Amino acid sequence: MADATVIGSQTFVKGRIEGSGDLEIAGRVEGEVSVSGEITVEKSGLVSANLTAERLVIHGAVKGDLSASDSIVLEAGARVVGDVKAARVSIAPGALVRGYVETSASGGARVSSKKAVSAKHEAPKASAPAKVVAAPVKAPAKSAPKAAPVAAKAIAKKPPQPVVAALKKGAKAVHKKRA
Amino acid sequence: MASTVIGAGITIEGELTTDDDLVVAGTVRGKLHSKDSVTIESGGVVEADITGGPVSVAGNVVGNINSSDRVELQNGARVVGNVKATRITIADGAQFKGNVDMDV
Repeated sequence: MADATVIGSQTFVKGRIEGSGDLEIAGRVEGEVSVSGEITVEKSGLVSANLTAERLVIHGAVKGDLSASDSIVLEAGARVVGDVKAARVSIAPGALVRGYVETSASGGARVSSKKAVSAKHEAPKASAPAKVVAAPVKAPAKSAPKAAPVAAKAIAKKPPQPVVAALKKGAKAVHKKRA
Repeated sequence: MASTVIGAGITIEGELTTDDDLVVAGTVRGKLHSKDSVTIESGGVVEADITGGPVSVAGNVVGNINSSDRVELQNGARVVGNVKATRITIADGAQFKGNVDMDV
């Protein structure tokens, strides 16, 4: 019974966890974790540590680098901020990753599902900077026609109307004052 | 059913804080705080001060044990350190070196 190690949901470990065997984390862990078996981070798990194991299954939140000799599985609801490195990496739809992902050349068929999700993940990133670009460019739009196509492109994707309207008002006010 | 288990092959170096029951069959070095029961199984090694509820030791402890409830040193236990608890039992075959302080 006591062969598998469980960090319960009400447990907080600060420091190093290492050794052989499987590890299940449903609580909080801060520091470094390195075991020879499988690490499972449950939904309630909150890990701020680099995780090293043969296999990693993540349902919860991890801040730190993940590295596995065999495979890493990020299930739906997983939140990972850090680099992910394993022979095989699978990221389920609904998993959130921010970091560098690397699979070895021998990566299996699971890689395809990873690409699909990572593309999905980048979509909001593309729209987020679009707003940022549109904001500073729109104000001096009359005086800087060079930047106009960039703004137009960004706006064509998703027009951030309330932001633009507000900026127009502000820009007009500034121009009037200057005139 | 314990909710937190430190398995036989695992070593934790640092601080372990829990509101769950805790079973140690592996190794813990550093500090160990529990609001509930702490069980150190035969083969378990704790090189740490233990504070918690009921503490049951069948393994090896080097460090002070401070319990709000009772402390049981079972047959095969080896404890070096001071024990403070409301009730203490030391079984035949348990090795113990340290002070005992019972809050009366």
